[in-house]
Amino acid sequence: MLAAAITIALAAISLAMLLNLWRLLCGPDLPDRILALDTLYINTIALLVLLGIHFDSLVYFEVSLLIAMMGFIGTVVFSKYVLRGDVIE
Amino acid sequence: MSAMSAMLLEILVSLFLLASAFFTLAGSIGLARLPDFYTRLHGPTKATTLGVGGMLVASVLYFSARGEWLSLNELLITMFLFITAPISAYLLAQAALHLRVRDVSGGADKSKHPGQ
Amino acid sequence: MTLLLIILFPLLGAALPAVAVRWGRNASAGAAAGVTAIPLALLLFETPRVLAGGTIEAGWRWVPAIGLDLTFRLDGLGFLFALLILGIGLLVILYARYYLSQRDPVGRFYVFLLLFMGAMLGIVLSDNLLLLLVFWELTSLSSFLLIGYWKHHADARQGARMALAITGGGGLALLAGVLLLGHIVGSFELPVVLRSRELIQGSPLYLPMLTLILLGAFTKSAQFPFHFWLPHAMSAPTPVSAYLHSATMVKAGVFLLARLYPVLSGSDAWFYLVSGTGLVTLVFAAYVAMFKHDLKGLLAYSTISHLGLIMLLFGLSTPLAAVAGVFHIINHATFKASLFMAAGIIDHESGSRDMRRLNGLWKYMPHTATLAMVAAASMAGVPLFNGFLSKEMFFTEALELHQTGTLWWIVPAAATLAGVFAVAYSLRFIHDVFFNGEPVDLPRTPHEPPRWMKVPVEILVVLCLLVGIFPAYTVAPLLNVAAGSVLGGPLPEFDLAIWHGFTFPLLMSVVALSGGVLVYFALQYRFNLHMIVQSPSPGRRFYNRGLAWLTGLSEIVTGGLQNGSLQRYLALLVTVILLAGAFPFWQLGWYSGSRSPGMMDGGSGVAWLLLVVSAACTVIWHRQRLLALVFVGVTGLMVSLIFVRFSAPDLALTQILVEVVSIILLLLALYLLPQTTPRESSVTRRMRDAGLAVAAGLGAAGLVWAVLTRPQDTISGFFLEQSVPGGGGSNVVNVILVDFRGFDTFGEIIVLAIAALGIYAMIGGLRVERPALDPARRPWAADSHPLLLRVASRILLPLALMVSVYLLLRGHNEPGGGFIAGLVTAVALITQYLASGIAWTEARLRLDHQRMIGIGVLIAALTGVASWFFGAPFLTSAFAHWHLPVLGELPLASAMIFDLGVYLTVVATTMLMLVTLGKIGAREEV
Repeated sequence: MLAAAITIALAAISLAMLLNLWRLLCGPDLPDRILALDTLYINTIALLVLLGIHFDSLVYFEVSLLIAMMGFIGTVVFSKYVLRGDVIE
Repeated sequence: MSAMSAMLLEILVSLFLLASAFFTLAGSIGLARLPDFYTRLHGPTKATTLGVGGMLVASVLYFSARGEWLSLNELLITMFLFITAPISAYLLAQAALHLRVRDVSGGADKSKHPGQ
Repeated sequence: MTLLLIILFPLLGAALPAVAVRWGRNASAGAAAGVTAIPLALLLFETPRVLAGGTIEAGWRWVPAIGLDLTFRLDGLGFLFALLILGIGLLVILYARYYLSQRDPVGRFYVFLLLFMGAMLGIVLSDNLLLLLVFWELTSLSSFLLIGYWKHHADARQGARMALAITGGGGLALLAGVLLLGHIVGSFELPVVLRSRELIQGSPLYLPMLTLILLGAFTKSAQFPFHFWLPHAMSAPTPVSAYLHSATMVKAGVFLLARLYPVLSGSDAWFYLVSGTGLVTLVFAAYVAMFKHDLKGLLAYSTISHLGLIMLLFGLSTPLAAVAGVFHIINHATFKASLFMAAGIIDHESGSRDMRRLNGLWKYMPHTATLAMVAAASMAGVPLFNGFLSKEMFFTEALELHQTGTLWWIVPAAATLAGVFAVAYSLRFIHDVFFNGEPVDLPRTPHEPPRWMKVPVEILVVLCLLVGIFPAYTVAPLLNVAAGSVLGGPLPEFDLAIWHGFTFPLLMSVVALSGGVLVYFALQYRFNLHMIVQSPSPGRRFYNRGLAWLTGLSEIVTGGLQNGSLQRYLALLVTVILLAGAFPFWQLGWYSGSRSPGMMDGGSGVAWLLLVVSAACTVIWHRQRLLALVFVGVTGLMVSLIFVRFSAPDLALTQILVEVVSIILLLLALYLLPQTTPRESSVTRRMRDAGLAVAAGLGAAGLVWAVLTRPQDTISGFFLEQSVPGGGGSNVVNVILVDFRGFDTFGEIIVLAIAALGIYAMIGGLRVERPALDPARRPWAADSHPLLLRVASRILLPLALMVSVYLLLRGHNEPGGGFIAGLVTAVALITQYLASGIAWTEARLRLDHQRMIGIGVLIAALTGVASWFFGAPFLTSAFAHWHLPVLGELPLASAMIFDLGVYLTVVATTMLMLVTLGKIGAREEV
C-alpha cells in the first residue's frame, strides 16, 4: 500500500513540477517566474523526502535542508534586486 | 512492533503522503491556472507549503517507526519552510507591486506609487 | 652538518639585519657581520683538515627521483672560494656601514647581501650539479636585487634588469648543459661526474654540452661578447660592486670551469672556445678600460679583462696554467675589491667618479691614495705585489703553448699587449685621480673618509703585499690544495718566487711596464685623453634591440590571441577542447560499451526535461540578463537533483550552494551593468558559435555515453575499500578531498585565497554611483530593509550556523565537510547583509576576512607540517577512534583539523568576494 501511495505521490509531484515549468515559460512577468522557481525548489524538497521514504535512506535529508535554505535565499535576492537594485547595501 | 501497529503505521504514512501530494499538486495547479500574479501567489505559498509539511510529517512517522529514536531531522526543514514561506510571499508581492504587475481587473495597482 | 650550517647561516640569518635595523644602523651591520662571522669561524675550524688534503662531504636526500640531492663538499677549491666569499663579505659589510647614506634603507641592503652570500656559498660547496644550478639561479636573482638597490635610479633598474637577463639566459643554457652532462654520465653527483672523463669526452653530446655550459660560465663571468652587463651593473652601490665583481658573482663562471676542469678540459674544443674567448676578452676589455672616464667603469672593464685572463689560463689546459688561474683568482679578488672600495671612498668624499674632474686628490686624501696605489700596482703587475706573480706565471704558460703551431707567438704577444694596456689603465687610475693638476668643479671638498671605512681596504692591501713579497709563506698551502682539487691529480712543480732570474717572461713584464707607462703618457699628453668620447658599447645596443624585438613579438602574439573579447576566448577555448576531445574519437573510433546504461525513471525524466528546457531558455533569453539568471537557477537546481539521483550527495550539496552564491554574485554585478545584452555579433558569427556549441554538446554527450556503457570496473572500488582503513572516514568523497588528495585541496584553498585577495585588491576601494532609477525608470522601493525579512533572518542565522557546524563535524563520515559547511556559513552570514545592510551587520560581526583567510590556510598548512614531526610526509593523516563514556565512539582524524582550515578559508573568501562587490554600489554611510 505504501508503495502505491509513493508512486501516486511521485506522479503528483512530477506533474506539479511540470506545471511549474509551464509557469516559468509563460511568465508573463518577472515575479511570476521567481515564484515558479521558488515553487520548484519546494517541490524538489517534497520529491527528495518522498525518495527518502522510497529508498529507505537518510542521505536525502541534508540536500532537502539546504535546498530549503537556498531556495529561500534565492527568492530573497531576486526580490531584493527587483525592489532595490542593490542586493547588499 | 506488532503486525497490527505496523499496518496502522503504513496506512497513516500512506494517507499523509497522498494528502500532501494532493496539496502540493494543488498549489502548483493554482500557480499555473489562476488569472493574475496576486492570486497565483496563494497557491505555492500556502497549499504547497502545507503539502511539503505533510510530506515531512510522513517522513518523521516512517523513520521514527523504523529506528529506535524519534526522527526529528525533518522538523528542522519544516520549521525552516514555515518561517520562510510567508517572507518569500511578502517579498514577492512587494516586488510585483513595485513592478506594477497587472491584477485580474486588468489595471495596474496604482496605490503604490501615486502620481507617477 | 658544518657545511649546511655555513650555507644556512647567511640564508636564514638574512632576516636578522632587517629586524635589527630598528635599533640603528650599527645594530643592523652588526647582525649582518655576526651572521657572516659565524660561518667564517666554522670554515676556519676546518682549515687543518682541508689543508691536509681532506674533503669534507655531507648529504641529505631531497628529490632522488630526478637526481637532485642536498649534497655538499668542502675541498680545496670550495674552501678557497668560501674563504673569499665570507672574508671579503665581512669586509664589505663593514665598509657598507659607512658607505651607505642616512637615506638608504640599510636593513634591506644587508638582507640582499646575505642572501647573495648564501647563494654563492651554495654554488661553491654543492656536490650536486643540479643543486649548484639552484644556487646559481639564486645568485642571479639576489644580484638583481643588489644591483637595483637604488631603485629610484633608472640606470640602476636597467642595469639590474640587464644583468638578470644576461646571466639568467646563461643560466638557462647552463641548465640545458648540465642536464646533457647528467644524461651522459647518468648522475648529477660531482664525484661520479669527475670520475667519468673518458665517457664524457667520448660522447657525441660532448660539444653541445660543452657549448651550453660555457655559455652559462661566459655570461656569468662577463666574457666577450656578453660582457656589457657588467659595466652597466656599476650603477649599484660601490660595496655591491666591490663584492660582486671582485670575489663572487663574476667568479662563479670561473669557478664552474675550475670545478669541471678535470672532465671537460684538454679537448681541442675546450682549448679554442675557452682560451679564444678569454684572449679576446683580455685584450679588448683592457683596451676599452684605458678610455673610461668613470672610475668604476675603468675598474669594470679591468675586471672583465682579468676574468678573460683567468679564462684563458684555464683554456690552455696545462696543469701549471690551471695553477696560475687559481692563483690569479685569489690575487684579483684582493686587489680588485680594495680598488673598488677605494673608488667608492673617492666617490663618497668628493661626490664624483669622473676622472676628468677628479685630479690632484693626493693633497686631500693621502692615506687613501697610498692604499689605492698599492692595489693599482698589483693590478698592473708590478713586482713585489701579488698581481705580478700570477701574471708572470701567465706569461710563462703563454710561451709554453704548442697547440697553436706556427702561430705560437699570438698568445704571448696578445698577453704582452694586454699587459701594456693594464699598466696604462692602472697608471691612469693613480695619476689622473691623485695627481695631474687640481680638481675641477667637484660637488664637495674631498677629505679622508671615517677611520673604519679604510680598515677593509687596509686589510686587503696588506694581503696584496704579503702575498706579493712572501708567497711561499702565505698563500702557498691554500693555492696547493685549491689547485690540487681543480686538477684532480698530482700538482706540477712550481716555484712561488719573485725572482726567477733573467727569463723571457721577465722581459715581457718589463715590456709591459715600460710600454704601459709610455702609452698612458702619450694618451694623456699627446692625444688629450680627457677629450676622447667613447661611443656606447654595441653590446648594449644589440641587447636593447633584441629586447625590443622580443617585446614586439610577444605583443603581436598576445594581442592576436588576447584582444579583450571574451567571446573570442571562449570560442578559442571550446575549439581547442573540441579538437583535443575529438582526437581520441577519431583515433579509436566511436566507443560504445557492452553495458546497458539503464532505463530512465519518471522522476528523472521530469528533471531531465526541466534541465533541458531551462538550459534552452537561458540561451533564448540570454539578452535579458535577469531572466536568464532565473533560468540558470532552475538549471542549477536540476543538476543538483540529478547528483542526488546518482548517489552523490556531496556534489549535490556543493552544487546547490555554489548555485545560490553565484546568483548573489551575478546580481551584485548586474546591478551596475546594463540589464540587456546589445546585439553585436553578425549572423555568421552566431552561426559559428552555435555550431561550436552543438559540436561541444554532442561531444560531451558522446563521452557520457561511453562512460555509462563501459564495464563498471573503475578506480572507485579502490577508494571505497581504502576509505576507512586508509583515511579513517566513511565518506569517501571527503576522505579523498582532505586525505588522499589533501595536497590538491591545499593548493585549491590557496588559489581560492589568492583569488579573493586579488578581487579585494582590485575593487576593494572602488565606489560606483548607484543608478538613481530602476531599469523601468522608476524610483527604487523606499524600504531598504523590510522588517519581516530582518526578523526572519535573525531567527534563521542560528539554525543555519547549527547546520553548518553539523555538516563540518560529520563531514568525514557522512555527506558534508569543510567546503560545504564553509559555504553554508558564508551564505548564512551574507543573508544578514541582505536583510539588514552592511552597516548594521558589520557593527555586530567584526570579522577580518583577510586575516581569517590567512588563519585558515595556516591551519591547513600546519596540519600538514605536523605530520613531519611524526616522521611522515606532508599531510599524512592520522586518525583514532576514541571511546568516550557518554557520547560513545568518537572518530577523530587529523584530516578534520585540515578540514577546519578549509572551512575557515572558504567562509572568509566567499564573504570577502561578496562583501567587496556589495560595497561598490553602496551609499557612503553618513
